[in-house]
Formats: sequence, C-alpha cells, structure tokens
Amino acid sequence: MSEPLYLAPRLESRPAALLDSPAFLHPLVAALGSPLNLLLPDQIADNVRAFREVYARHRLTGRICYAHKANRSSALVRRLAATGPGTGIDVASLGELQHALAGGLTPDRIVATGPKDPDFLWLAARTGVTVAVDSPGELTALAALVERFRLPRVPILPRLSEFASTGTRVLTRRSRFGTPATEADALLDLVEKHRDAVEFTGVSYHLDTMAPTEKAAALDGCLRVLDESRRRGLRPRAVDIGGGFGTDYLADGAQWERYTTELTRALLGRRAPLTWEGHGYGLRGENGTLRGALGVYPGHRPVAGPRYLDELLAQTAPSLGRPLATLLLENLYDLHTEPGRALTDQCGITLARVLEVRVTAAGERLVRLAANARDIGLEDHGLLVDPVLVPAGATAREPGGDSPVGVYLLGNLCLESDLISRRLVFLPREPRAGDLLAFANTAGYFMDFTADHALHQPVARKVAVYRDGDAGPWHWCLDEEYWPHLTAGDDE
Amino acid sequence: MRYDHITDAIGDTPLVRIDPEVHGLRHIDLYAKLEMLNPFGSVKDRAAWRMAQPHLEEARRRGRTVVELSSGNTAKALAVIAGMHGLPFRSVTNRMKVPEIKDLLLLLGAEIEELPGQAECLDPTATEDPLTRIHRMLTEDDDAYLHTDQYYNPANAEAHSGGTGPEIIKDLGGVAPDFFVACVGTAGSSTGAARALRAHDPAVSVIGLVAQKGDFVPGIRNIDEVHEVGLFDPRTYDALEAVSADEAIDGMLTLVRRCGILGGPTGGAAYHGALRYLRQRDAEQAGGGDGRRRTAVFIVCDRVESYMSYVRTRRPELLRRPPRPNSPASVTPRELAEVHVIGVEEARAWIATERPVVVDLRGAFAFAALHIEGSINIVDELFEELLHGGLPFGRSQPVLLVCPVGEQSVTYAALLARMGHRDVRSLAGGVIAWRDADAPMVRD
Repeated sequence: MSEPLYLAPRLESRPAALLDSPAFLHPLVAALGSPLNLLLPDQIADNVRAFREVYARHRLTGRICYAHKANRSSALVRRLAATGPGTGIDVASLGELQHALAGGLTPDRIVATGPKDPDFLWLAARTGVTVAVDSPGELTALAALVERFRLPRVPILPRLSEFASTGTRVLTRRSRFGTPATEADALLDLVEKHRDAVEFTGVSYHLDTMAPTEKAAALDGCLRVLDESRRRGLRPRAVDIGGGFGTDYLADGAQWERYTTELTRALLGRRAPLTWEGHGYGLRGENGTLRGALGVYPGHRPVAGPRYLDELLAQTAPSLGRPLATLLLENLYDLHTEPGRALTDQCGITLARVLEVRVTAAGERLVRLAANARDIGLEDHGLLVDPVLVPAGATAREPGGDSPVGVYLLGNLCLESDLISRRLVFLPREPRAGDLLAFANTAGYFMDFTADHALHQPVARKVAVYRDGDAGPWHWCLDEEYWPHLTAGDDE
Repeated sequence: MRYDHITDAIGDTPLVRIDPEVHGLRHIDLYAKLEMLNPFGSVKDRAAWRMAQPHLEEARRRGRTVVELSSGNTAKALAVIAGMHGLPFRSVTNRMKVPEIKDLLLLLGAEIEELPGQAECLDPTATEDPLTRIHRMLTEDDDAYLHTDQYYNPANAEAHSGGTGPEIIKDLGGVAPDFFVACVGTAGSSTGAARALRAHDPAVSVIGLVAQKGDFVPGIRNIDEVHEVGLFDPRTYDALEAVSADEAIDGMLTLVRRCGILGGPTGGAAYHGALRYLRQRDAEQAGGGDGRRRTAVFIVCDRVESYMSYVRTRRPELLRRPPRPNSPASVTPRELAEVHVIGVEEARAWIATERPVVVDLRGAFAFAALHIEGSINIVDELFEELLHGGLPFGRSQPVLLVCPVGEQSVTYAALLARMGHRDVRSLAGGVIAWRDADAPMVRD
C-alpha cells in the first residue's frame, strides 16, 4: 500500500478523553448494542460560552439559539435550558416545540421557524413563543388564530430573503423560505394591520451559504427594513441571523490539502483509486482535465463557529458603510444567532462495532460494521473524516495486523449503496471483529437526522455521558434520563 | 511611437535585466518580461485581444454581450476592448477577491456577477455546480453571447506562442533562455511562450508556479485547480512548484523597492519562485558546470497599484503611517479613570440646566433613526479626524459625549481633557442605557 492518507478528526479534550477510555466504551456497546450514540451535554455549555465571548468582544447582547433539528437528543436540549436566559432554541416542527418546552425552555427562549402546519402554529401562538413568520400568508394565518382564540399578542420575527446587492450582482442561491426584502413594505403593512395580534420584535434571515459577503448584504438589508419599521412607529428590538457558521472537523489542515490533491490525481488516473468504483464527489476527469466541482464539506475550516461570527460582525455593511457589529450596537438592536451545527461541535460520538473484515479478489479490504449509512450520515453531507479505532481489549496479535491499511466501510443493510464512506479510509491497523470504530463529532446532523428502521435494523440508542470535573470517572445514563442537575454548574 | 489604436500598443513589452546584486545568482542572468506595461495593465491584454478581435465585428452586428469567467485581468482587458467596440461585457466569477479590481471593472462599465458561496448544508442530489450552469446558459442562447472562454480557447496560448515567446528570443539576441518561469492561471502564457521557446531550442526548461493550497495569490491557481483548466498540460512543465502569499509579497517588495519594477504580487510570486529554483541550478553550476552563463526569464504579469488591500490585510505593517497627534489609541488608563462619567438621570438634569453640546458619535444611519433630542451627530471616524487638528469647540463649552455603550465616549472625553477642554463628560452605558432607562429619544 502507498502512504496512508489520514483525515484525523479534530478532538477537543472532553471527547478525546472519552475515546481514550476503551474500558468504559466497550461494555456500554455490549449492553446497549451497536450503533450507539454518545452525547456530551456539558460540551454544549462550553460552546455557548465561546459564542458569548464573541458577543462580549463586540459589546453585543442577544440570544444564541440552538437549531433543534441538528439532533433529537433530550440531554442537549435540557443542558441548554440550564445555561441561562441568553440562550434559546429554534424549533421547526410541532414535535420539536413540545420537546423544547418539556426540556425546560420557557417560551421567551423559543423561536418557531420553517414551514408551519396549523397545529404547530397554534401551539406556538398558545404558548407565546416567537414566530419567525415565513410569508405574508403565514402572518395572516397566525393573526387569525390569535383573534379566534383570543390569545395574547404573539412576538414575531419575520424571515426575509433575496436581498439586493450593491456594486456587483451577487447570484445568491434561491431559497424556498422567507419574504423577499423588496416586498418588505407590504409585509409591514400587514404587521400594522394586525397590530393587536402580533408584536413585531425584529426580522430574521437564514442563508444557506458560507460566504460572509452574502450575509453582510442580508444583514444590511435587514437593518434597512427595521429602520422603515421604526419610521412607521413599530418598536423592533432584534435581528436574527442564521446559517453557515460552520464547524472545523479536521485536526490537520495539511492532511486535508494532501488528501484532496491525491483525490484529484486519482480521478485523473494518475494514482490508484481512493474511492469505491471511482466515485468523484462531484468531480470527474475528462481527457486529463478536471470537470465538475468538489461537492464535499470543507473539512478543515479554521474560520468556523465563534470565529466565523467574529469575522462576520467585523465585515463592513455594503450600503451602510460601517462594521456590522457597530451598526447593530448603534441602532440599539439585539443580535440573535442560530449557529446551527457549530453549537453541537464536539458534543457527540457514534460508536459502531466491527463485524467482519473481508478481502476481495482484487485485494480490497472490506470492513462490515453493525451500523449503516443512515446511522452515520457522513456521506449525506459530504464529510470526509476518519473514524477512531477503539480496540477490543488485549487481543492476540494476528499476522500482518499492525501496519496501516486502507479499507472500505460497509453498512449492515442489504443494499449496494450502503457504504458508510465511499472513500478508502486509512486506519493505523486492520480492524478486527469486536473492535469499535468511533465517529467523532456527529452530534450536528450526522447522528439521527436520517436514522430509521430500514430492514428492521435497530436505530442507535442514545446515552448522555458526563464526568465530575476534568479527571473524574465517566458516568452515563440514557439520553431521556439525563437532567442538568447531574452535571451543570453556573454557566452564564 | 505613434499608434492609431490603443490595441496596437499591446505586446512588444520590455525585457529588463535584474541586477545581480539584487538576486545574487553568479552564473545566471535573470530577466523580467514586463507584461505589466501592456496598455490595460497586464499580460492578459494579449490573450483578450487575440480571443476577441476576430469576432468583434460580427458581435457588434448581432448585438452580443462579451462574457468571460474571470476574476481580474482578463476581465479588465475585455471590458476595455468591449467598451471601445460598443459591446456590453459581463464577468461571471466566484474568485474575485481583490476589491480594487471589482471597482475598476465597474468603472470600466462591466457587469459583474458573483457566484454564490458554498452551501453550508450540502445537497447531495444537486447534480451541477454553478459554473456548469453558466456554461449551459452560454450554450443555450449561443447567439446572445461572445464567450471568449479563456480556459479552453487555443487563441489564449497562441497570443503567447506568436508574441511573448518570439519577443523574448529577439530581445536575447536570437537565443532562447535556458529557463522560463511563469505563474499558472489560465496556463495561456506559460503554454504559449513555452511552445515558441522550445521550437527554437528544445532544451529550454519551463517552470510553472502555482499557489500554495489554502493560500491566495491573485491570478494563480493551486495544484488541484490547474487541472480544471483546459489549456493546462502537465507535460509543458519541467517543474511545478508552489508559492505562498507571503513569498509572493516578499518577491513583490524586492521588485518594487530594489528593481524599480512596480509589479503586483503575481509578478512577485514569479520572481520569488524563479529565484528559489535558480539558486539550486546556480549552485550546481558553481560545483563543476561547463562554465557557460545561463539566462532565465520570468513574467511580471501586472502592476502593484490594484493590490493595496491585498497587502493591507496580509502585511499591514508594510503600509505603516507615522503616529498622528491626539489619537484615541494614545489614551492611558489613568486618563480614562479621570474622566467625568455621568449616568442617565444626572445627564438629563445637566442637559436641562447647563445645555451642553451633546455629541452623538454613532453612525448617521443610527443617529437618524433615534437620538437624544438636541444632540448633534459627529461620527466617530470623523471625530477622530477632527481631533488630529485640534478641539472642534471652545474649551469652556460644556460637552456631553455619547456612544452606543459608553466606551468610545470615555476615550474621547479623556482625549478632550488632555487637549485642555474644561468640562467634558461621558454618558455611562451610552445610548443603550439611555433607552433602557426609558429616557426620551426622537427621530426628527
């Protein structure tokens, strides 16, 4: 085999210490089955703190919201509830709203987003959570509910989209959600018409892009709409921004650069393949020229999470000409953020047991796991990162078993497409039946977003894992049995 | 030199020898081919003209728009050429990272379309990338566009096999250089010039320079991205080496400060990469070569002026300015502690009795929206500028400074006190505290 091309995950101290505890992990999988999802609720409190520091640097106040859809865990929601009034949650369905309320988040800390059916809208209105109104139609429906059931005024944060750019034309990806900023006047007319039913508290945007320039244009557009609303006598308090703060998944930028270069070479036929059946992740070689675009998550992203927010706030607003943070502060607005997966950074690990290692006639090593691609959604999101090998006790050394190998990771479904990774994954040694592979940093979208009961295979159980201080023994409980009094101190 | 058209001034650029005292090579003469002296400012003038010229007449007749996927110099040259011939020009790109170039293109009348950033949530069902979509738009309505297609158009390389290469041979007295060094962007200049040089002397070594991965050098691709270019053929190069942004700026500094060649970072990258490669050859030569002097040529592809923001973000210390008097940065903790800070209630009483000038340091947009009645707006940047010149009001005129949270206003109050002002106060907690105390604000 040629040089192994590792893509080692970035591990902060808490998950790193956990993975270094095989004597804790193996019995857990033996008892609860494979796959098994571990959650580190105390980590989400640390992540909130890192974002709060960025707020403090820019002298800003406002809510830091966790996007519930990133994970169904109760432990994360309840731990977040214990972090104090400056944090909140974004819920995108009736079930998520019920879960958030049940987990201890009070209505003033909950924002209902996304497409809303009447049940969802009713419970949101009844409990008085903030509604990120998606369209004029939804605003009308909400107002009708409030009037019909004689409910108190519901706080709203209408979602805007399609912001104008200045100078150059930015071809922003179209969104199915939100009201175009050019139609904001009509929206405000509607807000004024329904003054007795809804309380206009600000506006929101949520862009699916990593480009800070597009977001700066959006925030700039929001400030203009808020100014118009003030002119009309409304009293907005906040701008809610979301989407694309990102997470840095890999420990070593040089590994990422080397890997992507070698992948390019493999697709051009200049080295041995690095993917199952020559899969190109969006790229293909045509007569020596590379076509298409590499459709993968930028695994190594040093400017992600809190740092991304910091840099975004330092951007100059394209039409208003001052730094975004300064404009928010000067105009007396709170900043609500939805850092999405960045808040779940380092919060979860998925364990899978190795069932079998097979070598094909062509010499490929296939490793079958007791888990499938729906349990560990790396491929769905184009995330290229290696699992960590957690060996099963002191097994006897087998011949040839201690040098690096490249393997393909197969799932447990009877489907040709069920590959946990389409990549040739390099491991420090060949795994053996009974070893565990640990997929790090799966709490944000990779854990249960797509998991289901296909082929009657069980969905992974979830456990919350915590310890006393930084060095105490590890404890665990079922995710639904976790309550913050087990671990939380003073957070905010 | 008299020309009928500015386009006649494209090409025939000077070949300038770099002083051996600067580069330190003992057995190699190093020359810079100054493509920056083309009329629109870069090596791309040649390719742009060569690609567009044969089609301009017909494009004008049919009212076509010139379109190119370019982030810089090709767009610049095409914008000028299109403008001169009465054609609209549109540049589509996601790589335009230099703000000065963007502004210049708008000034030239170009329309710029920036492709969206990468999606945070990947959609695995998306079958095409934005560039593919652009290509499809161009082919679907072929008649509306003149697509110069620099990454695949053979005319791009031909501009150099017919121009740049032969000019170098002519200026070297009829011989090809031993080494030719060029940065690889569209691969047009390196491929084309290499073809001409090798036709003259097959022994010419061609060195292609790419940007270090994860680093940005204007106009250069990195080792993966070059494979996306139709004109790129790895067999053209005897060596492909990477240059970092830092090295490009180092090279540029040597060119501008020691050689009088006001080239941009790409030329700096070429100089740095050339020297790094040639030093080894020079050492080999010293340790038992044939004694024959060698020559090397590198390309300075454009001018430095457009890259000030590039330098400012990467090496701010290079644009150092002398310290200015009365700067807020010079305020000491002791001076800060001595400032007369007052709360909202006290401020309201003081305003009512003494009528101080209330200076609101926030931006004009925020001030217009809501402010303390009777206050005046001097935006912080402007206020700082004013203070460099002295006090903008009398020493005994009472002044209340107001900013968002009371942080800047304290600093400026300390500065005013140091400058001799007798009664300046700062509003504690700023406009936010004022609002939170429900004190009145107006929008007038």
